[in-house]
Amino acid sequence: MPAIPIMEVSKVTKRFDKFAAVDDVTFDIYDGEFFTLVGPSGSGKTTLLRMLVGMEKPTSGELKLRGKVINELPPNKRPTCMVFQSLALFPHMTVGQNVEFPLNLRGVSSSDRRTRSFELLNLLHLNPEHYYQKNVTQCSGGERQRVALARALAYDPDILFFDEPLSAIDAQLRKVLQKELKDIQRRTKKTFCYVTHSLEEAMVMSDRVAILRKGAIEQIATPDEIYSTPKNAFVAEFMGEVNLLSITMRGRHLADWHTGRNGLPPIRVHIPESIMTTEGHTDRKLLIRPESLRFLGPTETAENTVPVAIINEFSLGSRMQYHVQVAQGCTLIVECLREHRIKENRAILGWETCDSQVLEA
Amino acid sequence: MLQKLRALAPSLAGFISSTPFLLLMLFGFVAPLLCVVWFGLMPPKTFDVAQMPTLENYYTIFGQTYFKSILWSLGLAVATVSILLVICYPLAFTIAKVFRSGGYFITYAIVTSLFVSENIRLFGWVIGFMKNGVVGGTLARIFEINIDSLLYNIPVIILGMVYVYLPFMLFPLVLGLKMVPDQVREAAFDLGASRWQVFRKIDLPLSMPGVMIGSLLVFVLSIGAISEAKILGGQKVVTIASDIESEFTYAQNWPLGSALSTLFIALTTVIVFFVLGRFDLEKLLGKKTS
Repeated sequence: MPAIPIMEVSKVTKRFDKFAAVDDVTFDIYDGEFFTLVGPSGSGKTTLLRMLVGMEKPTSGELKLRGKVINELPPNKRPTCMVFQSLALFPHMTVGQNVEFPLNLRGVSSSDRRTRSFELLNLLHLNPEHYYQKNVTQCSGGERQRVALARALAYDPDILFFDEPLSAIDAQLRKVLQKELKDIQRRTKKTFCYVTHSLEEAMVMSDRVAILRKGAIEQIATPDEIYSTPKNAFVAEFMGEVNLLSITMRGRHLADWHTGRNGLPPIRVHIPESIMTTEGHTDRKLLIRPESLRFLGPTETAENTVPVAIINEFSLGSRMQYHVQVAQGCTLIVECLREHRIKENRAILGWETCDSQVLEA
Repeated sequence: MLQKLRALAPSLAGFISSTPFLLLMLFGFVAPLLCVVWFGLMPPKTFDVAQMPTLENYYTIFGQTYFKSILWSLGLAVATVSILLVICYPLAFTIAKVFRSGGYFITYAIVTSLFVSENIRLFGWVIGFMKNGVVGGTLARIFEINIDSLLYNIPVIILGMVYVYLPFMLFPLVLGLKMVPDQVREAAFDLGASRWQVFRKIDLPLSMPGVMIGSLLVFVLSIGAISEAKILGGQKVVTIASDIESEFTYAQNWPLGSALSTLFIALTTVIVFFVLGRFDLEKLLGKKTS
């Protein structure tokens, strides 16, 4: 991956009255990468995106595209293009006219326009013979996605932005389209910048992911790094179902796990040594993934053990998920292979110290 | 009961449900229209409907200068529609896309004017424009410029019509423009369109249903307009509607009035359907499956 920045965002802030929707954000988007901005609703990701495409102006900070400041450039003068959440196809035009719209504005001859739109429709697996004359209002959700993407590609932007275009699509089709999008990015070698609230979606497609929270960036890393070393509990929790244990340090290798609020004595657990393991800090979390926890047989042992009551059992296909109670108000999620499913109401839960991680709260 | 009926005869239930409306349309709309058409075929200056039909009234109409009144009505209607389109489109755009919720104030202000009868409002203009009226009197008093009455000419008739029919153009346009999704406009802008191109390629075609409905409404209303020409225009211009009125009143020639009405209704219908045929509303709305 060539790490040449195509877009540099430095100290960008956007205020609405006193509320900072985007607060002093700095990052680069590299040429030819699939970059994803991800965050829960209200994290400022859409505002940030609207600034990148020029529909909002930053209150302060600088946006640079290929080294040139573009803060004041309106969207129609920027070599960037956005695929909207609503797709924003032109309902009074055919598929062909939609795709040719940006070419038409540039005065490309009608035969060249047609050639180019046929190329793009083919690239997006829409048979031009069938779709070129079709009205966009008659297309299905998936087809409309592809038309919107073809139209954006016809503009031939330096960076292509996406504002959660897949959120209205059903789960099955969404997975197909995610992979297709990644495939198209790889084939066209364009820079894609995608915005979503689903980290899962971000992980599937992206080369790098930036996680936003309350208008600030929590972590920018590759999907692998985010999975293996989440920067803090927010990132870890946002990533999916994980167990985060409230702990207090008791030395470099030991900690007290506070299982509940009703005065139960804490449980002593072993923790892996890291820069986070400073004595006495209470605002630490111990991350244990559901698949790192296992039920112990009568002869098995683990470095950490705790007796639990099993509350719920869910089938996830090849695996089983359990919700288990350690104490009143303290439940954990456990996942195991289907052949390891258990029948009892009570069990001993165990995990190895090296499978857990200490994180900032 | 309806449930039972629906089970027995599904189509019958629908028919019975629509009976009140059908009766209303039959006796309130179709029957009077047929009466007018029939009366137009009766011998002139009679009041009996049971006579041999004759085309005498139509010969009279084509033999005289009624076509002038029709042309005046048409011309005034076309002028009113054109001027209203130019005035109302920017205003509707402001209400729908710039002010948004604040646009309600303008809406209410305009709707309130409809609470006062059209004739009374027109007499208000008369007071304003007559010799030594509000305009003339003010000019004479302050600037010592003496002007004659501003009434009784064609521009003032058109002004009156534009004023009276403004809401009927404005509100369909506002609705039409509100139907243009913001993101679609933004997308066009983002794809490199200038503001003018966004207007021409997105706003205008997508708000066409509003333009069509507003124009037809104003056209049909203003082609039958009578008070503006009478009150503001004096007898400068005679519209077809006032011709018809005088046949029914002063002249006491109901058959001729009916024949004129029939001809006029037919003409308006032909024009409206011709325009509707040229611009397919369903297609403009993007709902048509071709």
